[in-house]
Amino acid sequence: MASVLATRHPEDTVYGQVGDVTVPLRFSTLAGEYQVLRERAAVLDLGGHRLIEITGPAAVDFAQRILARDVEYLTSDRCMMSLVLDDSGQVVDQVIAFGREDGLLLESSCGAGSKLLDHLNAHAVDGAEITDRSAELTVIGLEGPYAWGVVGRLIDGELASLPFESVVDATWEDVDIVFARTGYTGEYGYQMIVPREAASRLWAGALEHAQAAGQEALELAMLEVRQPIPRHEATPGATVIEIGANWLVDITKDDFVGRDAVLEAFESGDGRRTVGFTGCEGVPAPGTRVLAGGQDVGEVVHAVHSTGLGATLGLARVDPELAAAGLDLTVGGLGVTTLTSPYIVPKSWSIPII
Amino acid sequence: MTIDELRARAAQRQQTCSQIKKMIVSRLDLEIEPGWITDDQPLFGRGLELDSLDVLELYVAIEAEFGVALYDSDMAVFGSVSRLADEVDPSLRATA
Repeated sequence: MASVLATRHPEDTVYGQVGDVTVPLRFSTLAGEYQVLRERAAVLDLGGHRLIEITGPAAVDFAQRILARDVEYLTSDRCMMSLVLDDSGQVVDQVIAFGREDGLLLESSCGAGSKLLDHLNAHAVDGAEITDRSAELTVIGLEGPYAWGVVGRLIDGELASLPFESVVDATWEDVDIVFARTGYTGEYGYQMIVPREAASRLWAGALEHAQAAGQEALELAMLEVRQPIPRHEATPGATVIEIGANWLVDITKDDFVGRDAVLEAFESGDGRRTVGFTGCEGVPAPGTRVLAGGQDVGEVVHAVHSTGLGATLGLARVDPELAAAGLDLTVGGLGVTTLTSPYIVPKSWSIPII
Repeated sequence: MTIDELRARAAQRQQTCSQIKKMIVSRLDLEIEPGWITDDQPLFGRGLELDSLDVLELYVAIEAEFGVALYDSDMAVFGSVSRLADEVDPSLRATA
């Protein structure tokens, strides 16, 4: 499935297949788009995120069972990020759950919509209707230290200062949209869920105040603040504990799909742990061995060249007793140093919304 | 460095991180086990979802427990438990 905004993208946009969707990886250059995201404000085509509605009298109970975080009291003015797990505790997806008057709206991660929908349907119950709304709606995001200014110029300045994870049913040029304060990169972040027929106009309007950034810049910025990227990090067999995504699971919740497996993994202390690293030449492939003092202690999960660090940035899954920042290890025969998160401090942390 | 030296260095950081997690859970009266908090997860906003009042409480707690005064202008120190560990024990910052 291609983005509804594809006709509005520049001619030389580079696309790539991510899961079940074709998405814009970059519109110009990764370095330029990254700089826009970290220094100013970027517009994101999040059309690769599937929107799935859960409605009906059993909607909340169903969502409470499917989502790893507590959504029992998720009102229509709130949203939250949560993992969705299978019975063995493996990550199905990382979603944003929006509270709605008649249930919930789930936004999948990029390219994971079919997998999420299959999982929801496999666990379907009477009284909870599951509807894929992606044929009618799409998502446009804004991220960056000055994204709040774009919101003010594009829609309404008061929306810019909403508390984190707040949701408002807003109107833009007579079009009903769902507006949310969210964020994947540590910068100020917003999402607009908009009817597909109005998406091109909203995209063009946003581009009058900001520049577009593609999936590569977004994922790089996510990695830099240790925001999990399931398609890279949820490797086969890896537990939530090994991924380090505990914060996307509410283990105090009585029951949800995958809870027993997560709890067992936590209490056993088994498995490896994920730690960031920098250094070495080039970008090591997933699976590249990690050595400590000459001994094999783990492997690379995901690595990229970080524009912000000007060096390789990666995640390694290593023995628990070596999962700590400040260690000199070896990756693919070259030296690396493990890091403290966040690997880049977002500029938004020192810029107030005015 | 040998693997044993690396393990010892990692253990030093993990011990400080563990101490910080216990302090956070105790001071903020959280219902989770300290070990559920990971060294690298975000603390403010995303992640542990601390707010500005929680952060003020932690400034006081950190000074009381570690004797380190943090300045409220630098939110980066609350980027993660491991980042806080760097602040309360600067010797952890040096690479192996």
